[in-house]
Amino acid sequence: MSFLLSTLRRRLSLKRLQRRGGPRPKSGNGFRRFWSWTALIVGGLYFFLPLIGTLEFSLRMRRGEYSLDAYRSVLEDPRFQQTLGYSVIMALATIVVGILIVVPTAYWVRLRLPRWRPVIEFITLLPLVIPAIVVVFGYIRLFNTSSFLPMTGTTMGTNILLMFGYVMLALPYTYRAVDTGLSTIDVRSLTEAAQSLGASWVTIIGRLILPNVFGAVMSGAFLSFAIVIGEFTMASLLNRPAFGPYMQILGANRAYEPAALAVIAFAITWACMGLLSLVTRITRVGRAGK
Amino acid sequence: MSFLELQNLEKSFGDTRVVKDFNLNVAKGEFISLLGPSGCGKTTVLRMVAGFEAPTSGRISVDGKDITRLRANQRNVGMVFQSYALFPNLTVAQNVGFGLKVAGVPKSERNPRIADMLALIGLPDLGDRYPWQLSGGQQQRVALARALAPKPQMLLLDEPLSALDAKVRVSLRNQIREIQQQLGITTIFVTHDQEEAMAISDRIVVMHQGVADQIAAPQDIYNRPSTEFVAGFVGTLNRLTADVLDPETGHIRIGGSEITLGQPLPAGRVTLSARPEAFRLAATGIAAQVTKVEFLGALISVAAQIDDTPVSFVLFNGGDDPVPEPGSRIHLQIAPSRLLIKQAA
Repeated sequence: MSFLLSTLRRRLSLKRLQRRGGPRPKSGNGFRRFWSWTALIVGGLYFFLPLIGTLEFSLRMRRGEYSLDAYRSVLEDPRFQQTLGYSVIMALATIVVGILIVVPTAYWVRLRLPRWRPVIEFITLLPLVIPAIVVVFGYIRLFNTSSFLPMTGTTMGTNILLMFGYVMLALPYTYRAVDTGLSTIDVRSLTEAAQSLGASWVTIIGRLILPNVFGAVMSGAFLSFAIVIGEFTMASLLNRPAFGPYMQILGANRAYEPAALAVIAFAITWACMGLLSLVTRITRVGRAGK
Repeated sequence: MSFLELQNLEKSFGDTRVVKDFNLNVAKGEFISLLGPSGCGKTTVLRMVAGFEAPTSGRISVDGKDITRLRANQRNVGMVFQSYALFPNLTVAQNVGFGLKVAGVPKSERNPRIADMLALIGLPDLGDRYPWQLSGGQQQRVALARALAPKPQMLLLDEPLSALDAKVRVSLRNQIREIQQQLGITTIFVTHDQEEAMAISDRIVVMHQGVADQIAAPQDIYNRPSTEFVAGFVGTLNRLTADVLDPETGHIRIGGSEITLGQPLPAGRVTLSARPEAFRLAATGIAAQVTKVEFLGALISVAAQIDDTPVSFVLFNGGDDPVPEPGSRIHLQIAPSRLLIKQAA
């Protein structure tokens, strides 16, 4: 889905560029335009048709007419509210802990360990190549009740373990977002200027670095949110009442409700994406004069 | 008695010795420039004083107190950077007040101090702007105000003018000097621009390959350079080889011409080094051929050849002598007092 959005965005910015009088080849322009629109439409159908089908199906719970019965049924289900609430809290905790880990790390790597940057980047990419199921089995082996740190022994411990799992899953996105944000400011000079004015590390990171990469941190935060809301494997194997497993249970037992739930999940994700681009745009407008 | 003392300062990065046995005493209120080509270690010395680099060995003390191992945020020095380094998320006033806020100065004392500082740099009405709304020169003045606001013991300037255009550079350097004298603050200024260093310093440290070649007042650096490097780096230097014909009267032969300097010289071959302003046109003297004439406004720079040795000298615009044409033959006299003479190998 996000691939389609980015294609669309690229397509639109390309159009804007052309309208501004960018390079415009004379011959074959119409031909090329035809094919690029065709590709866009085919791609759009590929992504939107199933979604439209799902949406249409979710409205057909009442025989012979369209209704919001399936949605009512989902929204009235106490498990929906519980699991969504649980996942939202987990997402917020993931964001906070993620920021606390990623911002100082990315900052320190840029400031003092620039040679380690490729290594750190590689580590942050590992969650993309190691399946979540492998990670979670590793967790269970490492932190089971007979281990040195029996996290899975209590509910709270398991929640914390799951939250760290989420932080890890979101790492490729949060780290990259923050690191890109840091690349737009002169980290070393700003740090040294603040130091010569008597600032401590906490002041430097809290009052200078964090506010200056706020947009990037927010991008990372919304991506974390979207990941946590839809995550299934870890929550299910750690047996926590999260939104992902609930969707799966509902999907296995009902007909129309899962479709409604899928639409709701999409809406939440899209709202996150929308907020993301909104925040990015606001922070960019704030520096427009630069 | 000296305020800042650097003793036997050394700094190595890996196997490279960047600063070697560096010694400097700075009096209170003095304006010192560290001058040298890039890579000479001048910035490293400044960064060690600021506390951003730890010396490999040696001692730094301020007002009798050893600060060698003190952390940068406890040294109470004001620093201005080439890249301005203003905090982009804070307004001008917040930038200037940052050091005070960190030090816990209450708002009621902070605000008048910020206003004073903005008045000092001549930007009293720009407190609410953000850094990106200011020109480069304005940003650097704000950076200066920010460095001075917490009343630091010392002001450290790391090539503060290098990113600015020529006109702003000159006016800002004068402003820096004025403010420095007004506040009487001990200042170290790092630059690779000799004109800048000469214009505003009490003393200049010329650095070369991690060593302080000469520490002296600008006039002495220029007129009496102590090493070949200083002589060549600061100002233009013409080098001529001469055969001494009579050591007692200083009668010498340069190219095909013979002149008498009127001072004793070592016998044999000597190297004469002279600044462009040591030459003047004359009816007799060293024969030369003009190769290029450059009009610089108040001065006219002339390049000529004495046999195969290139020399360059300057004439005042509107002086008594007619400006020579390229290709013409001229005669030059050298002021003996402006010559550096060395026995040639």
